Amino acid sequence: MSQPDTDEMTANRTENQGVATTAGETVEETRPEWTSYDADGDTKLAVDDLDVHYGDDHALKSVTMDIPEKSVTALIGPSGCGKSTYLRCLNRMNDRIRVADIDGTVKLDGEDIYQDGVDLVELRKRVGMVFQNPNPFPKSIRDNVSYGPRKHGDIDTGLLARLTGRAEPEREEQLVKRSLKRAALWDEVSDRLDDNALGLSGGQQQRLCISRCLAVDPEVILMDEPASALDPIATSKIEDLIEDLAEDYTVVVVTHSMQQAARVSDQTAVFLTGGELVEYDDTEKIFENPESQRVEDYISGKFG
Amino acid sequence: MPREQYRDRLTELQTEVVLLAELVLERYEEAVEAAATGDIRRADQVVRQDDEINRWYLELEGECIDLIARHQPVASDLRLITASFKIITDLERIGDLATNLAGRTEYAVGIHPAVDIRSLGIAAGEMVETAVEAYETEEPDTCRAVAADDDALDSDCEATTEAIMRDVITKRTGADSTDPQADRPAALDKTIQGLLTVRDIERVGDHAVNIAARTLYMIDNDEQLLY
Repeated sequence: MSQPDTDEMTANRTENQGVATTAGETVEETRPEWTSYDADGDTKLAVDDLDVHYGDDHALKSVTMDIPEKSVTALIGPSGCGKSTYLRCLNRMNDRIRVADIDGTVKLDGEDIYQDGVDLVELRKRVGMVFQNPNPFPKSIRDNVSYGPRKHGDIDTGLLARLTGRAEPEREEQLVKRSLKRAALWDEVSDRLDDNALGLSGGQQQRLCISRCLAVDPEVILMDEPASALDPIATSKIEDLIEDLAEDYTVVVVTHSMQQAARVSDQTAVFLTGGELVEYDDTEKIFENPESQRVEDYISGKFG
Repeated sequence: MPREQYRDRLTELQTEVVLLAELVLERYEEAVEAAATGDIRRADQVVRQDDEINRWYLELEGECIDLIARHQPVASDLRLITASFKIITDLERIGDLATNLAGRTEYAVGIHPAVDIRSLGIAAGEMVETAVEAYETEEPDTCRAVAADDDALDSDCEATTEAIMRDVITKRTGADSTDPQADRPAALDKTIQGLLTVRDIERVGDHAVNIAARTLYMIDNDEQLLY
């Protein structure tokens, strides 16, 4: 796997002479167009020439984009631009869609996750996912967190284990506590771990889903609009948590809120309609002085 | 185009900053002329009108804050607002310096003869005019021209200061026997007012460079002139 040079921000840029519009006329475009960007830090996920078709629909067009480890990468763009499709390619969630046709490579720590013989359960353990709407299981808070480790056989608390004395209640207790603390939820639920998770508020449910994701000890956390269904206070808690998690995990977050991307991410990728990655750069650069006029127009609300 | 009202407000902000600059320049030119000719009535008018500049400045500052708070500007919009926010402060300070200059007209003793108020004052005023033109037309080369002009102004101001100080030393050492002992307090006043006038005009030039530097940042995200 090629590692980007941390000292070099090699962005090769070309002059874009003009943009043909659908009406046929050519609008003079004086800004150089972005072509490539190497983020600081070691690459965790290397995506090369990724194309996704849903039947006849070309959802993602030849996207090449490396995601550095232990940082927050934001994906922004209008609805239907391919950002969620891109996100779902990173742990092969698109495999579940029958008509999805995926070309290109996605490497996790240098290993192609689309090669034959990849264990999808193991992959999704390493690359976890949090969705837009909190989706806790209709079980206790404790069971929600320990569900993953039990399924993966990391802890054993079943009837047989209890009967044979192999049960590890203390280990489970520690894991639940650690995961809830890491998701900044422990202080709010420590005295009601056996209550049904559906009784929690939306923001608490989302943090429970994050702690459920953390319980299996992932390396990458994918978040698809994790705060779009939450109020401003719950949103700010999720945003604080995202920044905090980036110290230990690689976080990739899709968001419709440009302000959220600006607040929490280290680098931002802008997808525009048609499945095209238009610009990928340091978040500061994207929001202060993007290379692409189309990106500028999108983030400042001139179109989209 | 979405966010039409927001875009209209950005355009209006830029126009209003230019109009404020025109008002400040008008007052500054009046102050230079008053100080050069000793026209106290003209000077009084400049001093009394400073409130108008301050009021307008505060209104524009409020508009910048409101745009940031309610519209979360980014990219070139953000640079326009933050640059304008800084530029109006420079304009307000130029207004204050114009008031200083006008205030000196009232000294019956006048200003030290080594200070060519009109020449230095007009040079600094033209720098402000060029900087504001760069802001209005968004022309990077015009911004850089202002920075180049400042070197000449600084050099003229330094030469004037040196001439004043040389005069002081000559009189103090008695080399100039024509200076009677009785006029010493008046001569001291002339010297102090002369030095302060040169400093004020030099500061107007510095504010013009600040405006050019913020404008260059606004246009090209180029921080070259900021340092």
